[in-house]
Amino acid sequence: MSEYTPFEMIAYTGSRVLEDEKIVFVGTGLPIIAAMHAQLTHAPNLYMIYEAGSMAPILEMGMPLSVGDTRAARKACYLKGLCAVFEITQRGYADYAFIGGAQVDMYGNICSTIEGHNYDKPNIRFPGSGGAGAMAANCEKTIAIMALEKRRFVKQLDFVTSIGFGDGSSDYRDKAGVMGSGPYRVITNQALFGFDQETRRMKLLEVKPGRTPKDIQDLVDFELIIPPDVKEMAEPTDEDLRLLRDVIDAEGYFLKRVIKK
Amino acid sequence: MTDNISSKIKNISTLEYKEKDFEYWGPSPDEARKIMVNKSHGLLDKRHTLKDAVAKFIKDGINIGIGGFVNTRIPVAIIHEIIRHGAKNLTLSFQSNSICPELLAGAMILDPDRVSIKRVELAWWGYEIIGIAPMVRYLTTNGIIEMDDYTNYGMSARFKAAAMGIPFIPVRDHGGSDMELINRGKMIECPFSGKNVYLLPACHPDVGIVHTSASDMYGNARIFGAHCTCPEIAMAATYTIMTTEKVIPTENIRSYPNLTEIPYPAVDTVTEVPFGATPGASYGNYWFDMEHLKMFRGLCEDFRKTGNKEGLKKYYDEYIFSCQTFDETLEKIGYKALKNLKDMDGGQPIILT
Repeated sequence: MSEYTPFEMIAYTGSRVLEDEKIVFVGTGLPIIAAMHAQLTHAPNLYMIYEAGSMAPILEMGMPLSVGDTRAARKACYLKGLCAVFEITQRGYADYAFIGGAQVDMYGNICSTIEGHNYDKPNIRFPGSGGAGAMAANCEKTIAIMALEKRRFVKQLDFVTSIGFGDGSSDYRDKAGVMGSGPYRVITNQALFGFDQETRRMKLLEVKPGRTPKDIQDLVDFELIIPPDVKEMAEPTDEDLRLLRDVIDAEGYFLKRVIKK
Repeated sequence: MTDNISSKIKNISTLEYKEKDFEYWGPSPDEARKIMVNKSHGLLDKRHTLKDAVAKFIKDGINIGIGGFVNTRIPVAIIHEIIRHGAKNLTLSFQSNSICPELLAGAMILDPDRVSIKRVELAWWGYEIIGIAPMVRYLTTNGIIEMDDYTNYGMSARFKAAAMGIPFIPVRDHGGSDMELINRGKMIECPFSGKNVYLLPACHPDVGIVHTSASDMYGNARIFGAHCTCPEIAMAATYTIMTTEKVIPTENIRSYPNLTEIPYPAVDTVTEVPFGATPGASYGNYWFDMEHLKMFRGLCEDFRKTGNKEGLKKYYDEYIFSCQTFDETLEKIGYKALKNLKDMDGGQPIILT
């Protein structure tokens, strides 16, 4: 087994979560890489939506560097604009939202707008919702990628940008007027999380080999549901790493990023 | 907004924000309709220089709707001309953009008596892979500009509602997020299903600025690659300034009328500006110029971190103020760089005939 990086583990795990014959509405970076890997392995009939307006492209010019990249429109089946792809998402064509964010809470709500409590003068301003808020509302299931850190897995968000299960009440999403069923998976390099059906709280599903559920709980500021049957995360094989490094992100735009401390 | 029809977002958020009464940040639907009805709807030759187009339509205090998406088909040449012309107290409306609002913000930092931004209605402002946008971070964390946040669909649907001539549009997002509290949308009970649904007000910019793949001299425009929200913005705005990669004969438009994405009555001026979106990309023409975006972003980040404006000032002098037209800016970027961007597009297929 070769050494792999945290980003490679996230991309590989993201790929594992995606099923064949589905449509995934991708965000920039690791979600695109994960979906490309899935297409090349277990899900050849998985297709992507890019929010600038492209559905089911063939990415033969290489990995798009952003969701607005003109390469994401290459040989698409359907190529319109933002209205079209978000409207078919409301209609139910998009199975997965694949997004990132700055903070997540126990009910899978995600912040990507500000840090700080004052909307009119925040401590930090992030780019904003972009497509994420609409994807989390209306794709059927939401998959999120986060770095596993206490300051990101928080008790309370500074700003709810992308709706999860809200306050955890069973009718929160219905009252919010959104269509999708909500949070499905949260992917980190050390653990894979799902959500408990009864309480809608985040639940530990898998841990990286060598880690314990307690190691993971120590990196999360809220109480996780830890079932007795937590599994080990599968690790990428040499062939998976070859696909990620030499075929999908050969220039290393996302997988070779240096992590800022 | 009453408790029984709002979602329960207040239960999970500690966000502090100012309650605001609703107001339009640009023309109301009635005002926008009136302006459209009073225009000539003839097939007129709308080719003008950008200088004349901007001088005619860009005024202090207006709402400018910016087309494209992040780094794709962004109207950079028009933004340069707006900066040379000057415009204060602006409202900006867009879904996602990178260097266009950053260029306006940088111009404001250098000389607020020439260009200033009052407020922005948007979904996203950044550079994606290249990094965060330093100027929006500077302006918001210092409380200098007012923000009004929507999703990418939200802003697109607001332009679409305006383009459809309806005052609002029901959408299936924003509800249950803090955007429900802080933006100008409203949760209501659907009169038919009895269920909650979020309404967004139409967004009519005073002036829409878009860059298209091809257009005839009347403004019938084709867009290849993702349309982004350009047709909706052009049709929502009371006046639209368009740059296009290539002006094509009207007989081509009439041969394939299905390919027209923006109809001529939506457009007020047409200017042929090849590479008019660079350092952004234009499908079928050129890829985005990562090195140039990184360079400009770096100068903005230097200012944000140190307060030193020298690097920024040099950039604006070099690429904007010392140039009369965007052609002169392109000369400075140089043939070799532009040729490389053209090659990087890989010849994506477009139809000009």
